[in-house]
Amino acid sequence: MAQAVQKLVAKVPTLIGAAATYSKPRLATFWHYAKVELVPPSPAEIPQAIIGIKNIVTGVNSGRLGQTTVKDAFRNGLVCTEVMMWFYIGECIGKGGIVGYAV
Amino acid sequence: MVPPVAVSPLIKTARYSALLAGIVFGKRRYDELKPIAAEERRIEEEEKKVREEQEKIAKALAEASEESILK
Repeated sequence: MAQAVQKLVAKVPTLIGAAATYSKPRLATFWHYAKVELVPPSPAEIPQAIIGIKNIVTGVNSGRLGQTTVKDAFRNGLVCTEVMMWFYIGECIGKGGIVGYAV
Repeated sequence: MVPPVAVSPLIKTARYSALLAGIVFGKRRYDELKPIAAEERRIEEEEKKVREEQEKIAKALAEASEESILK
């Protein structure tokens, strides 16, 4: 029993080294994409976002949005679902737990 | 590797404002639910005590009144 524990403890540095070697390139690719795609909006981009909302509102009023193809509508639906998921992740952070409120 | 795509600023703002809104909402709801849960637990404790008292009384009565020749 003691020998088995000793062998396991001796293996831990190798395991950590193997985990680091495995994860480094994957972290690098993740960082490569996240640097461009996941950054928060810079203050200069917020007016552009407001213009974007105005465009959508005029699109609704002029009826142009009725002309969207099903493919575009599906894609926009997926984007909206992703934005809603960020809200739920924020809620998990705010309530300090993943499932349910720890009251 | 596919080059990373440039995300529109509207989507970026929407994402991060949804994240902030979610954090605020979660924190507020937690603070609102915590005292309610504490209150419910307190009421449950009191009712449990009352129920256990009644059960003890009922048990004592039952033991006293059972007729058996095995005693």
